[in-house]
Parts: sequence; C-alpha cells; structure tokens
Amino acid sequence: MRGIFVYFGRDLLRWSRGKLAVISALVMPAAWLVFVGLALPIRFTDHYLDFITPGILVMTMLTASLTGGALLIFDKILGYFQKFLALPTPRESLLYGKILFITFRGLIQATIILAMAFLLGATIYGPLQLGLTYLILFLFGVVLSGFATTIALYISDHDGYAAFNAMISMPLFFTSSALMPYDVMPEWLRVIAVFNPLSFAIDAIRGLSIGMIAWVPIGALVVLSGVMILTCTWQFRNVTV
Amino acid sequence: MAVIETNGLTRYYGPLCAVDHLDLAVDHEIFGILGPNGSGKTTTVLMLTTLLSPTEGRASICGFDVVKDAPRVREKISYVPQDMAVDIKLTGRENVLLFARLYGVPDYKHRVEEALSVMELTGRADDLVRTYSGGMRRRLELAQALVHDPEVLFLDEPTIGLDVTARKRIWEHIHSLRKEGMTIFVTTHYMDEADHACDRVGIIDRGRIVALDSPARLKSRLQQDLVFARVSGVCPVIEIEGMTYLGQSGDEISFAAENGSEAVPAIKDALTSCGLHVYALSVREPTLDDVFIHCVDTTREPEGFDDRRFRSMLRRRK
Repeated sequence: MRGIFVYFGRDLLRWSRGKLAVISALVMPAAWLVFVGLALPIRFTDHYLDFITPGILVMTMLTASLTGGALLIFDKILGYFQKFLALPTPRESLLYGKILFITFRGLIQATIILAMAFLLGATIYGPLQLGLTYLILFLFGVVLSGFATTIALYISDHDGYAAFNAMISMPLFFTSSALMPYDVMPEWLRVIAVFNPLSFAIDAIRGLSIGMIAWVPIGALVVLSGVMILTCTWQFRNVTV
Repeated sequence: MAVIETNGLTRYYGPLCAVDHLDLAVDHEIFGILGPNGSGKTTTVLMLTTLLSPTEGRASICGFDVVKDAPRVREKISYVPQDMAVDIKLTGRENVLLFARLYGVPDYKHRVEEALSVMELTGRADDLVRTYSGGMRRRLELAQALVHDPEVLFLDEPTIGLDVTARKRIWEHIHSLRKEGMTIFVTTHYMDEADHACDRVGIIDRGRIVALDSPARLKSRLQQDLVFARVSGVCPVIEIEGMTYLGQSGDEISFAAENGSEAVPAIKDALTSCGLHVYALSVREPTLDDVFIHCVDTTREPEGFDDRRFRSMLRRRK
C-alpha cells in the first residue's frame, strides 16, 4: 500500500510542475464541449448538450487514460523503470500508483467539464447522480489506464506509443454511443457500439440523467475493471527488461 | 558462502548466447567486470539484479536465489544502471526521498539527509536536478542507491561521460563504501580505472570469463614488457631471440620481451646491424589494456554484422 501512494505522489508532484501540461489537459475536452455540444446543428435529441455531456466526460477519461500510459514510457526513458523493477516494493504498486494518478487526473478534468456543461445550460445533476457519475468514470478510468499502462510495458519509445494511442482512441470514440443515440446509428455501427466499453460508461451516465440506475453497464464495468486489474498485475509481476 | 555466487549462469537471446556458463564468487570487495561491447556484462548485471531470468544455471546474492527469492534479493541490493536515471523535474532531496520511502527505510528523513551529505549534495539538495552537472547527477544516483544501506551495490559504467575530477570523486566514494563492508560489482570500459580501483577484475568475452584475478597479478602473468624503438628508415621484419616482433607504426618499432630492460641492448644491436639508426629506446610495463587485448579475441566479426539480431538484442536489453 505504501508504495502505491509514494508512486502516486511522485507523479502528482511532477505533473503539477509542468504548467503547460495542466492547461492543455483542460483545453481539449472543453473545446469538444463547446464546438460539438453547442455549435453542431444536430436535431436527433431535443437537448443535445444534455445528450453529449456524458459522451464528452467519458471521452475525457479515455484521452486522459491513454495519454497517461505515456508516463510509463517516460519512466522507461528516464531509466527509473528499471530501478523500480529492482526494488523490493511489490511491482504491482507501480501499476496501481499509475492507475490511481491517471484516473485522478482524469476526474479533475471531468469535474471541469461538468462545471462548464452546467454553466452552458445542461440540466444540473443531483447529489446521487453526481456520485454515481464519478463512480462510473472512476471504473472506466481504471479499465483504460490499466490497459494503457500495461501496453506501455511492451512499447519502448514515445513514437510507438503515440501511434498506438492514435490507432485506438479515435475508432473507440466514434464507434461508441457518445455522439448519437442507438436508433439513428446505421445497423453495423449499432452492433459495434453495444459492445464498446465506452458505451457502457456513457449509457450508464445517460441512464442516471433520466433517473434510472443502469445496473447492466455498471456491472459490466465492475467486471471489466476486475479482469483488467488481475491481468495487468500478472503482467507487471512477470515483466523482464 | 560468498556474497555474490553464480553457478553455470547462462542466458540466451534466441540463438545468441550472451552469457555462457559463468562461475563467479565475489565477496566484500570491489569487483570489476571488463569486456568489449556486447560481451555480456550488462546481461550478467541484469540477471544478478533479478531484472532478467537466466536461461540456465543459478545465481545467489547473500544466499538468496535471484529467481526463487527475488524479493529478498531486491532488499539486499541497489542497482545503478548505465544511463543516468534521475528525475530532472524533482529536486535532489525529492529524488532521494522517493527511494527512501519506496524501500520503506525507517526514520527515512534522517537517512535521506545522511545520504545527501555523504555524497556532498546537501548544499544543492533543494534545487531541481535539471540544474545539476553530470558528476552531481551521478552522486545523486549513488545517494539514491545508498539510502537503504544495501549489502551489494551494482554499478553499470559508473563514470561514463564524466570529467576526470568527477570520476576521481566517484571512485573515492566507492572506495569508502567498500571500507564499510559493502560488496561492489562494477562494469567498466575504462581499463585505467579498473586497474586502480578494483580489488579483482574479471575479463569477459563472448559471455565467458577469460581472465580473473587482481589487476597486478593479471599484468604480471603476461610476463611481458613492451620495448619501443624509434628508428630512421623502414625496418624489415626482424627476428630476435627471446622476444616477439609486434610491428612498426611510423618510425616506431615495438617488441614484447619477458624482461624489457635486459632486452634493450639486444634490440639495439639487431637494429644497428640492419643498418638502421636508433634514436630512442623505451620500456613500458604492461597495463590492463595489454592484458585485455591479449585475452579478448579481437579478430572477431568474420560472421559480419547481423543487424536484425543486433537490434533484437538491443530491444530485449531495454
């Protein structure tokens, strides 16, 4: 446990020293919210901002998690990764520390998105709805940041990681239910969207806004994050340089 | 039982044998491992520090097996890799503090100050590492490595890229650690450093130990002095009894002889009788360089350079 918080604290300290990184992390999702949520003349729902906010929240977590994988690449290039592996601290602490930090950073961004959405006129969430939204985003963040960090174990440089990131983030986002409801999707897209983990999180948050708790997607996220943690832990324990 | 022990330690990268049945026993000393690039030095260190598992054979640190008791081994050792690994976005103190807390050092604040002051970094401890010189970064790495009081210290090329003063300082620190009873396992390219600093050296070539002893004994075992003669004109290959003709470069001819000073008159006579004028004669005792060249097969690379294999090896070493 101690190791997890030490790793977490280190990443937090490093992040807080790079002002530009903090600002850039906040600008991108805000741009999406304004340009997609307010500017697009889309009429398949009566209140598109309410509809798109969960999508942007989840997209923010997705981007935060996938970019977060690069932290491990930094550690590798820095030479710290090798040193960490040679420490008596359990190796999975490094993984959990990264997951915790990446998800925490994503949640800060999500908070800003939410605040902006409310300011721009989205329907304000109640306390329970807000709490569950954070829980869903946290679970989703754990799945994606665990995945990204573990993939980074097997990639040796930033170029490679950027390529992986680009390859996976766009298709994942556009094949989810983020931008449009299922009933206006083409048939082939609907099939993919139903099984996209992004959709689990988005549908669960959307369900909350019409006052129902969507147990199926939440359950799916719980199972998925459990499986992801176990798989990644195993990978970290057995990694060699 | 020795602090570091290996028995038939072997590692293959695919068909390439990087370390070939290594048997070593290192005990409370500064042990230097020397070898050409790609001879298996780093691979050996990676196996001893539990970062790479051996294909065959065993190794133990303080009696703990590096595969079966890896976590116990990691408590006993510190590893300083070849590339400078310090976080430039943190201060010196934060860098050391990170490792102290990861190692779970009791009373860590006090230990951090102690490690920083031993490495003479206290004055700059609150500056970002970005502003540190190369030598200071190396000392900071040593401070990180020493903060949990390890029994064995692994250093991969500790003085690479440092200026002469910084190198000297690093070696002084390493020496004082040895005096406190620490075992230090170091790889290096610098023969003169190994010569002065190491208690024993092992020369490794293609994954095998080809020579293992104290620097002084390795040199005396060569039983050869080198004699250099500066002459005018081109000299034919001369055979002189009891010594070996090594070659001519420019106006300098070199010979190897068991006793250099006694060989000088004979060389002078032989050269004069060839009609050459001898300007100068000098005798040099062998250095570790000569031992190295003698032991290591330098006529290699007949297979050519297999780029694909080389790159896959590099990748695995990361």
